[in-house]
Amino acid sequence: MGVTLSRWTMSYFAAALLSLILGECLMTAGYGFPSAPIRAPQTLVLVHLIAIGWLSLLLCGALFQFVPVLIARPLHSNSLPLPTLVLLVAGLAALLSGFLQLSGTIDVGAWPFPLAAGLLASGFALVLYNLGRTLWQARPLPLPARFVAVALLCLAATVALGATFSLVFAGPVHSEALLAITAGGLPLHVLAGLGGWLTFAAMGVSYRLLAMFMLAPELEGARPRAVFWLGTGALAVVILGGVAQILRDVTILPALCVGALLGFAALALYGADIFYLYRARKRRIIELNSQMAALALISLAAAVALIVVLIATNRLSDQIGAVVFLAAFGWLTGLGLAKLYKIVAFLTWLECYGPVLGKTATPRVQDLVIEGRARPWFLLYFLSVWGATAALLFAHATAFRMANGVMLVATLAIAVQLLRTRLLSDLTAEVPLPDGAHRPHLLVSLPNST
Amino acid sequence: MPQTFVDLDVRPILRGGGEPFEKIMQTVDALAPDEGLRLYATFKPVPLFQVLGRKGFAHEAREIEGGDWEVLFRRAEAPVEGEASAAAEAPDTDDWPEPAQQMDNRDLEPPEPMVRILAALETMESGDVLQALLCREPMFLFPELAKRGHAWQGGFEPDGTTYKILVRVGEGQKPAA
Repeated sequence: MGVTLSRWTMSYFAAALLSLILGECLMTAGYGFPSAPIRAPQTLVLVHLIAIGWLSLLLCGALFQFVPVLIARPLHSNSLPLPTLVLLVAGLAALLSGFLQLSGTIDVGAWPFPLAAGLLASGFALVLYNLGRTLWQARPLPLPARFVAVALLCLAATVALGATFSLVFAGPVHSEALLAITAGGLPLHVLAGLGGWLTFAAMGVSYRLLAMFMLAPELEGARPRAVFWLGTGALAVVILGGVAQILRDVTILPALCVGALLGFAALALYGADIFYLYRARKRRIIELNSQMAALALISLAAAVALIVVLIATNRLSDQIGAVVFLAAFGWLTGLGLAKLYKIVAFLTWLECYGPVLGKTATPRVQDLVIEGRARPWFLLYFLSVWGATAALLFAHATAFRMANGVMLVATLAIAVQLLRTRLLSDLTAEVPLPDGAHRPHLLVSLPNST
Repeated sequence: MPQTFVDLDVRPILRGGGEPFEKIMQTVDALAPDEGLRLYATFKPVPLFQVLGRKGFAHEAREIEGGDWEVLFRRAEAPVEGEASAAAEAPDTDDWPEPAQQMDNRDLEPPEPMVRILAALETMESGDVLQALLCREPMFLFPELAKRGHAWQGGFEPDGTTYKILVRVGEGQKPAA
């Protein structure tokens, strides 16, 4: 038994970071919301570049490496992730072409949406198959892995809804039911993707990663179980209940309200769990990744608080863009960048020095990074995200673009830190690689042959 | 290709006072060359380790919920996907000597426990046993132990939070007894 390096995870991370940087360039240039309407094709280009290109590729790459750690079983296939990545990137390109076509930027014929639906559905089906087979072997699943399993079901729902929209946009579908879902299903698509797939998986994995990196006790008790069941209930009510309501031609508002109540309860208990993890840690001085994860978690709490305030003041539908922005960039992207900072260093260290550990002097994982140099960029990133959120709330498009420019600079600087870590450029002393150690490739993790 | 496992749960037979041995052997005889057996039992089925060991199966036993046991029997000579990761045989530790060295790594941040274990093993004689306490299953350590030809046996203590691993230096490459 044991877990080896996931071969293509670094390629996923690289493709994901490129998507994030491209998305931030577009936002800085004033492309899409708030300069364009929130449902405009330009905004949809941005949203999918971030949701699929950045967040989903990041999460897939991370899950291929860490689901085996969660369940103590090897990944079903270490070679499938490459064709999966090709399908997802090609599908994303087709989808973005479809939106560019809708916006009138390009004119390439009717093929992009059906092609995007086919490629993305195939790519995500391979993700589901590979991780699903891996998880299936490990039943009964430990709690963090159950979060991932539910997140994968939500991914399936998100893709099914998205593929439906694509086929209807492209015109070949005339089913009344599918037309109704396309007309009313957008909130379900967004909630299943952002709340079910991305957030629920991040919550599950965060239980384990935070405990591991801060030497805190693993939580398996009643409260994390309640988080799991309330969250699963919320997602089921929203997605299944919502689709049922649409098909019965009645408003989905009751499903959204019940889902929100369950979801808020889950998030409140999750917050209490995470608070406990930080307080109960044995390690007093925590690494940068755990410090910055705290800022991401604060962003999640702020997004929830913002939703509550906006509902109370009846302004949620006007300000939904600000909520989604804060959730996507403060919470998910913030957590993603913070954990990447640790994961890239750890996997690189393991790949490079694993074969010679104990046989000769080797650097520590922390010798591969210079936290003091990365910290200001992370802080700048979070400050600019919060600033950009405020700019959206106050409908200040220019301030939003300026804040995005700062986000872009901070992200680029963090990406440079990750690159330097991967290339072993930040090793404090220029020590020659010991015999038997090998310099990792930028994009591929190769098993060490003996 | 990875080995796939056929599941066999003999706990109902055992709880009913029955004898599952024949059922187990039938299942084993019906396995395809690339299949292993995942057995669920109400106790650690030590006698079976010997019997199936002679049939060329290595085993890995771990305690699961409710004091039950899950044992993976895999064909010891079967190729394993990728590197020398999962194939290490989990040996019977009954004939192992007392640990020559013990370490408590529970309060160390990862990957320090792994570094210390590998460093200690380099200083030990072939056949010596190292005992280490950890606060989680060392998933990234196992492939490294396998590559270096060490044998190991590990599992969670009854408290559910301490993981105890025994590593015997340089024994993993010898054929299973």
